[in-house]
Amino acid sequence: MSSTIVFDAETIPALTEQKPQTPWGRRTGKFRLVVVLAIVIPALIVGSLFMFSTLPGAVIMVAVYFPLQIIATVLAAISVRGTKSAGDAVIIVSAIGATIFSGIVLISLLWSIITKGIQAMSMAFIFQNNEYISPSTPLGYGGIGHAVLGTVLIVGISALIAVPLGVMTALYITEVRGRAVPYVRFFVQAMSGVPSVVAGLFILTVLILTGVLNNSAFAAGLAYSILMLPTVARTAEEVLKLVPEELRTGALALGSTRARVALRVVVPAAKTGIITAAILGVARVVGETAPLLLTALKNDKTVLNPFSEPISALPTYIFTNVAQPYPDAVLRAWGAALALMVIVAVLFTVTRVLSAKRPGK
Amino acid sequence: MSTAEYDEVAVQELESDFAIEAPVGQAEMETRDVSVWFGKRKVLEGVNIAFPRNTVTALIGPSGCGKSTFIRTLNRLHELIPSAALAGEVLYKGQDIYAPEIDPVHIRLNIGMVFQKPNPFPSMTIRGNVLSGLKLSGMKRSNHDDIVEETLTHAGLWNEVKDRLNHAAGDLSGGQQQRLVIARALAVQPDVLLMDEPCSALDPGSTLKIEETIRELSNDITIIIVTHNMQQAVRVADNTAFFLATDGNPGHVVEQGPTTDIFGNPQDQRTLDYVNGRFG
Repeated sequence: MSSTIVFDAETIPALTEQKPQTPWGRRTGKFRLVVVLAIVIPALIVGSLFMFSTLPGAVIMVAVYFPLQIIATVLAAISVRGTKSAGDAVIIVSAIGATIFSGIVLISLLWSIITKGIQAMSMAFIFQNNEYISPSTPLGYGGIGHAVLGTVLIVGISALIAVPLGVMTALYITEVRGRAVPYVRFFVQAMSGVPSVVAGLFILTVLILTGVLNNSAFAAGLAYSILMLPTVARTAEEVLKLVPEELRTGALALGSTRARVALRVVVPAAKTGIITAAILGVARVVGETAPLLLTALKNDKTVLNPFSEPISALPTYIFTNVAQPYPDAVLRAWGAALALMVIVAVLFTVTRVLSAKRPGK
Repeated sequence: MSTAEYDEVAVQELESDFAIEAPVGQAEMETRDVSVWFGKRKVLEGVNIAFPRNTVTALIGPSGCGKSTFIRTLNRLHELIPSAALAGEVLYKGQDIYAPEIDPVHIRLNIGMVFQKPNPFPSMTIRGNVLSGLKLSGMKRSNHDDIVEETLTHAGLWNEVKDRLNHAAGDLSGGQQQRLVIARALAVQPDVLLMDEPCSALDPGSTLKIEETIRELSNDITIIIVTHNMQQAVRVADNTAFFLATDGNPGHVVEQGPTTDIFGNPQDQRTLDYVNGRFG
């Protein structure tokens, strides 16, 4: 037998099992107490004001609660970590407050769309069109199928035009770097200020009244693409600028041409951002109503041909129904708003999931 | 590996773990059984190192052995990574810096850090960069001109920039920028300076200047430096700790002790191979 060195694992600290911990998350009892007090005391004061005073709620929140919470925050921070941390605490609490405030606004908006929109929802509402339906027809007959189709057609046409054009404009600015870059950038910026009704008017006067196009999905898609282009171009430019210069020089040093650098290295590296640019472009136009009123008009029938005749989209459907004196028509408008929101959400989720794929696996 | 072999390795590790045994209360910093995780993956296991006051300690080892991760646990930068976790104690002047009553801002003010890539603030001048720590930490020190001259001299940059203190920091070369951020770290008078491969992107001349700076600074402060350059460890460090991570196991300290022993008379075969450039 060879001599084995025997030792007792219990006595050796390094060999006993350690558990992963996050000690930076631990708080002292004093810290917890002070935080609770800083939340509860202002809330109690404001709560009692709401109960026992006649001041309007908005005044209480702005003139009493807000300063009170800041003071409580400063006092809490000073008592725990000293005067230096007061500024930190105020910024953190203000940021949390602003987040809660915008969260409340957003949730109440979603809440009203969902609660009202859901009342109009049914299979018929989603899939049927509006033919033979008048504003006074009760819910359960007719729907937004034709408008959903119209929105998909019009937005699809505009994305097919504006996304490639926008990305190529961005590539011109970041990769080609030609002499016209400052002017291109200026015009893109100026275009992003074009009011949507002007885009509609432009297509109406130049292409529809001259007889080149009918009032149709294609005409509306052209108007939308004018609005979409600057958003896509500017966002794509920003994400392409984030691609490190080293990648470009690295590819050039392998004997690549500039076009291959742009298409094989730079664009794939910025893929997620370019998809975001396309999403933002779609989000920019999908709810626009004014250009549709001038180019696509409205149509209660289901239209599949993008060149032949007027077509309804969700914004025009909402626009026409919300102004009706019949409660059911107004509910239909809410239902269409909910559908529009769901379509955008689905679109965003799908593109996010697709763009999250990484090389390998 | 047979049990006997395993035991022998384990005992060697245990012996080496306590090799830099500073008298109790003397070490400026000390880690006890520090283990580190990212999510479920354990990247460092049971690190025990003492850093005696006003010494230079070099952390060496191949890439991916956890040296940089370890150095970031010493001034609480580790916790900024969302999936990070940690066990064990990091003592600074005998106090656990991860105790709940400790303010991480205070720790990072006293335990400064210089990173691998020079990171001067581009919106500030050279002078503004040196003084930025004072502004950012709210520290009040008078005679700013003296601080600028003193720290830039300390960092070996004064003669090169004294006539253009109001130029943008981005105009400096990489080596000058690195010396500028060292000056910036010194302006807040830290007790400990952590350096994560501070010379890896520098030319030999700048490296030499920074090494001279490190030697000089070690009269006043405790320095812990991660380096891939073994000659550098020999030149600047009083003590050296050799980290190693093998085949997906977490990194750990294989051997540590006075630099002359680690390089001249290593006890572990792996240390011998590494310091002679046979792997890593």
